[in-house]
Amino acid sequence: MIRVIPVLFGALLTVAAAWSLGMLLFRRLSLVFHYWEERLLAFVAGSACLSAIMFVLSATRVVHRGILLVVALAIIGYAAYTGALRSSGKPFPPLPPFWLWLFIAAFGAFTYVGFFNALAPEHSPDGMSYHLGEVLKYQRAHGFLRITTDIYSNLSQGIELLYLLAFNFGRHSAASLVHFTFLVVLVFLILSYGKRIGRPEVGVGAAIFTYASPIVLLDASIAYIDVALATVLFALFYLLQIWDENRDPKMLIPIGLLAGFGFEVKYTAFLAVPYAVGFVAWKVLRARKPVLRPVLTVSLIAVSCIVPWMVKDWIEVANPVSPLANRLFPNPYVHISFEDSWRASLSSYTLPSRSQIPLQVTVQGDRVEGFLGPLFLLAPLALAALRFRAGRQLLLAAAIFGSTYFSNIGTRFLIPIVPFVSLALALAIVDIPWVLSLLVIAHAISCWPGVYTLYCSKDAFRIEKVPVKAALRLEKEDAYLSQDPEYNVVRMVGSIVPPTEPIFAISLGGQSYLPRDLRIGYQSASNEVLQDILWTPVVRSFQPTRFLKFDFAPRELRKLRILQTASLPENQWSISELRVFNGPTELPRDAAWRLTARPNPWEVQLAFDNSPVTRWRSWQPAAPGMYVEVDFGRLQTASAVVVESSEDSGDTKVKLEGMGADGSWVTLSDHPVESRQPIRASLRLAATAELKARGIHYLVIKPENPGADDFRRYPAYWGLTVAGSVGDVRLFHIK
Amino acid sequence: MILNRLALLCCLLSLAACDRPPESYAPPEQRHPVEGYNPGPDAMMVEMNQPDANLHIVKDIYGPSDPSWRWTSQNPTVQLLVLSTENLKFNADFAIWDEGFKTTGPVEIAYLVNGRPLDKIRYTTPGVKHFEKPVPPDWLSVDADTTLGMSIDKVSIAPKDGVKLGLILVRLGFKE
Repeated sequence: MIRVIPVLFGALLTVAAAWSLGMLLFRRLSLVFHYWEERLLAFVAGSACLSAIMFVLSATRVVHRGILLVVALAIIGYAAYTGALRSSGKPFPPLPPFWLWLFIAAFGAFTYVGFFNALAPEHSPDGMSYHLGEVLKYQRAHGFLRITTDIYSNLSQGIELLYLLAFNFGRHSAASLVHFTFLVVLVFLILSYGKRIGRPEVGVGAAIFTYASPIVLLDASIAYIDVALATVLFALFYLLQIWDENRDPKMLIPIGLLAGFGFEVKYTAFLAVPYAVGFVAWKVLRARKPVLRPVLTVSLIAVSCIVPWMVKDWIEVANPVSPLANRLFPNPYVHISFEDSWRASLSSYTLPSRSQIPLQVTVQGDRVEGFLGPLFLLAPLALAALRFRAGRQLLLAAAIFGSTYFSNIGTRFLIPIVPFVSLALALAIVDIPWVLSLLVIAHAISCWPGVYTLYCSKDAFRIEKVPVKAALRLEKEDAYLSQDPEYNVVRMVGSIVPPTEPIFAISLGGQSYLPRDLRIGYQSASNEVLQDILWTPVVRSFQPTRFLKFDFAPRELRKLRILQTASLPENQWSISELRVFNGPTELPRDAAWRLTARPNPWEVQLAFDNSPVTRWRSWQPAAPGMYVEVDFGRLQTASAVVVESSEDSGDTKVKLEGMGADGSWVTLSDHPVESRQPIRASLRLAATAELKARGIHYLVIKPENPGADDFRRYPAYWGLTVAGSVGDVRLFHIK
Repeated sequence: MILNRLALLCCLLSLAACDRPPESYAPPEQRHPVEGYNPGPDAMMVEMNQPDANLHIVKDIYGPSDPSWRWTSQNPTVQLLVLSTENLKFNADFAIWDEGFKTTGPVEIAYLVNGRPLDKIRYTTPGVKHFEKPVPPDWLSVDADTTLGMSIDKVSIAPKDGVKLGLILVRLGFKE
């Protein structure tokens, strides 16, 4: 049980430092709030400040436990010393007894579920893979390090930086507890908001609607970030409502801070900035007051929060909003095809029809990773709250923050609007006697883990139990975690692979328990190339069997290029090898040659390396104007070009152009002779040799990976030996 | 705010060291892939102690009974991909169970490649056996799995559960 102390310490230190910073900020600005809302909003605003401090510490690579302890204690101590922690706000009137006891009962019950799940060893899919996987990397490097092989490193990580502080002391569960704290703060903020609008029962109802919602409670009890985002957005909304009442210009500072922090937490919350700016501008304009100063205040503060993350990405991966917008910011680190397929997958989740979304996100939860609870089938009733001013405000915020939902239809992506919808729904029905209280009770019952198993899909992402023993470390952490197959694999890998060796896997989670350089197939351009190399021996259509030969009268050329002339939305263009001939003799590739391509110039060498398993790919649909070019650096006599390609390029059409001494491009041939050639080389050995040449000596293959059977049946053909295994998962060593 | 500005300043300073990747390149180091390379004498052999031997088994080979061998039924068959078609020999290591032999007497085993009989041998004693015989190259293809089978004319029946017991198989495959 003593092992739980560092966990609690890490979480408490982070929460206390955030709260202290927020209280210091509010004192400095002399902002006036009610008693509880001040404390709650201070935590959220302080989290933004603490995240900024962690950004600086990470950027300067001084994230050491001692420094973090000194910084956090200094913040807390200074806040206590200056009296900033004492609230000057007046309390709200107490809740009516019925609603008070209803809240206490439901809050107590669901806190028992949520708290012990948060305290238990972390094994959520995304939490233990990338949210805390990135945190582990930063902890080991004592700050940011340039990571070009993992798209998740490029996302904004405002909350992960809070986790980094907690993780340094209490590891994974401390981070989860920080996230759970955001939910508790959100619930009390909702409660406070109800009191603020004079409808405390609405606050209680909406607080329980949100708190008990299965996906909300689950998400908050693991090291995800969606509930933290919901808290930030609701706090922003709350501050705007207060500002609308008192028009205190200093309130615009935390408003700008939270608007920018939304983006820091998750890209999808970029709308918080136009929302806040638009809200302020609209209100000021309606009051016929000068608009520039308040709008600039909010905008500049928000932008100052956002810009560091964009600059970080710009420096590290040449794209300020990586891994998105790669057409706008082409770069060697993320392929456009990845972004396209990622977007397509997140907007469909393999659902055959969007008409299934309402039932999936409320009741079933197996296809969209969780469910909100059947109460939210009544969400359309929330529109009845439009008759109230508060209702209109709530629904406007829900509409704005929910407008990005269809870019990712996972239920988690609805969490940011759950507080708004909950409040609007409660407001809509509050005047009908007993309905709200009955709905609260029904919702609480229907969201109890033992009850929802009666109606949700058996594969729904949900809390299944309350692991009190594991949470209190009465059950060994390793024993608890070993129920998770991914954990067992990373533990096996970690016990075999030396610390300095990178590992390649087509798919694998649990990185936060594996202090190694693990490269996952889809997570970067270079990883996708590795994956392409590995799949070439087992996927016939990837193999360079399709030869296109361009013959032309011998002539002196300075440059040559193969130009794509077809538009094929379903196919990429690729070239395995491009060979230039003078008569029957292939021109040796001279060091003076310069090779380029458009798009994707960064991988053009793969078409000139004489390897049958590597190829230059467009990594986006084939389109006219794409080319691969050779600059000989001098005039060179040539009479033929052979393009070795693969069947998966589809019906691409190419022509050969050349540039002579006069510097103008002319078509040399647009009718290549096409033939099929057998593969004579050992592709499997060539593939593993390529991995080895790139420093990869270990390979994890899971049974569901494409080609897995071939690796397992013929390890010797690949030049592999089995270094370890868990079930049907194999760790191979490249000999 | 000050902290955010400091962060921005740090980032801008580090930008001075930032280098955009080039967009044209010299030819890379040339690879020399090996043609028709055989990765080892046992590469085309299905060892019954391999953790992934199941992936090769087509039929009539039971789960592992021992770390190094498996019971078969009447027509044990595996499939595998050959790396070349030249100079390959059908290769099998197995044993005829002496207790079973008491009931079956001498057994005749046919050796099959892609269903075509390669040989047929009558074994008149129990114990450890080895079979090896060259396979005509035109029976094989490097583009598709090849099946290797053994067909036993008589099997014994396990007294406990009535399961058919053919051979005790250790390995089956090709060798050069």
